[in-house]
Amino acid sequence: MPAGHGVRSRTRDLFSRPFRKKGYIPLTTYLRTYKIGDYVDVKVNGAVHKGMPHKFYHGRTGRVWNVTKRAIGVEINKQVGNRIIRKRIHVRVEHVLPSRCTEDFRLRKKKNDQLKAEAKARGETISTKRQPEGPKPGFMVEGATLETVTPIPYDVVNDLKGGY
Amino acid sequence: MVYVKTQKTKAYFKRYQVKFKRRRQGKTDYRARIRLINQDKNKYNTPKYRFVVRFTNKDIIAQIISASIAGDLVLAAAYAHELPRYGLEVGLTNYAAAYCTGLLLARRVLKMLEMDEEYEGNVEATGEDFSVEPTESRRPFRALLDVGLVRTTTGNRVFGCLKGALDGGLDIPHSDKRFAGFSKDDKQLDAEVHRKYIFGGHVASYMRMLMEDEPEKYQTHFSEYIKRGIEPDDMEGLYKKVHAAIRADPTMVKSAKEPPKEHKRYNLRKLTYEERKAKLIDRLNALNARAQDDADEDEDDDE
Repeated sequence: MPAGHGVRSRTRDLFSRPFRKKGYIPLTTYLRTYKIGDYVDVKVNGAVHKGMPHKFYHGRTGRVWNVTKRAIGVEINKQVGNRIIRKRIHVRVEHVLPSRCTEDFRLRKKKNDQLKAEAKARGETISTKRQPEGPKPGFMVEGATLETVTPIPYDVVNDLKGGY
Repeated sequence: MVYVKTQKTKAYFKRYQVKFKRRRQGKTDYRARIRLINQDKNKYNTPKYRFVVRFTNKDIIAQIISASIAGDLVLAAAYAHELPRYGLEVGLTNYAAAYCTGLLLARRVLKMLEMDEEYEGNVEATGEDFSVEPTESRRPFRALLDVGLVRTTTGNRVFGCLKGALDGGLDIPHSDKRFAGFSKDDKQLDAEVHRKYIFGGHVASYMRMLMEDEPEKYQTHFSEYIKRGIEPDDMEGLYKKVHAAIRADPTMVKSAKEPPKEHKRYNLRKLTYEERKAKLIDRLNALNARAQDDADEDEDDDE
């Protein structure tokens, strides 16, 4: 019999729950709130069968475009042939995690706002742009002893001792 | 020792998955909890309150709780051990006391939210099924009953507490199937019987029965009632007064507690990270000092 290509084909390991984490899922997944425009990761929870996305979307990150009673609409990029389509899927909250991809950006934004406010209070302008890592600075080598290495003259007797 | 074949091998423990902590303690029913807490996502941060009723051996705890990721937040709480303040000193875990506790919690919450004038609820406790009607200005305070791990049979005290909260003016979705006095044959709630339970009528009739048949048992079983001079006929009047007192002043009174005493320590206190590092540095310094001394001595000896 040929292999089928059903919706959940080849997901035996992908959708299985991790070792010693089976059974009831912790309640924070239900208590989180999502707003339109948030970035979320799609990670399928095999314990909940309703509102499961297709296996393609497992591990993708997208933005929230709709919030319903028990599910969230997520807009994810999918490459189809020679173009990328923005696909809109609805996923139950158990299969969604808040994404940390923008966390670094948000923290930096907050810190920069704070720095700018402080600088304004002092009356000076600062640049909050990120600089790429430059080349390492030069340094003097301390406590190095010099050892001159010269080649020894070719010794026929020693070299042929191995066997000839 | 006789060799006993180990049943639980190391492999067993390696593969064992523990249940959630509160399930291991047997305190939380997660199946029910998930369904009580789950809020519609398109209601965002609107709290979903649950009306929690728990019975211990000597007390009744009624709370209004909303869930959060950091931990549940209690909006208001009422305990049966507060009822002496309103004039009820004995029988603090019976159906009538549960009704009083629910009523106290409801009035307390409504007063806290300044809705107590709008939603009087059912002032006359008749035992009939009563649901709050929404007024024009604000919708009633809605909570969902959380019984915990109790078996919900007809006439359970949990539903007495529920009835108290309903008559106090809270909006709790319910049916009258489990109130005391609901007969399965008629499929109807007998309001008279329910009213009897709310005013401790079932306790009073037991008291009367014991007084006639077994006076000694009456003396031992109802000793606290006798000490306070409560007769079976007084019960209804007593509970009516308690209900009125609750409606008059439901605010919570915090009892002043003295700070806990310092106890003698019988085992060594665990050191903090800084203390342990400091100890290590001291040991190394001592070792280096001693090594230095030995090296000096050796040098001296050599010389």
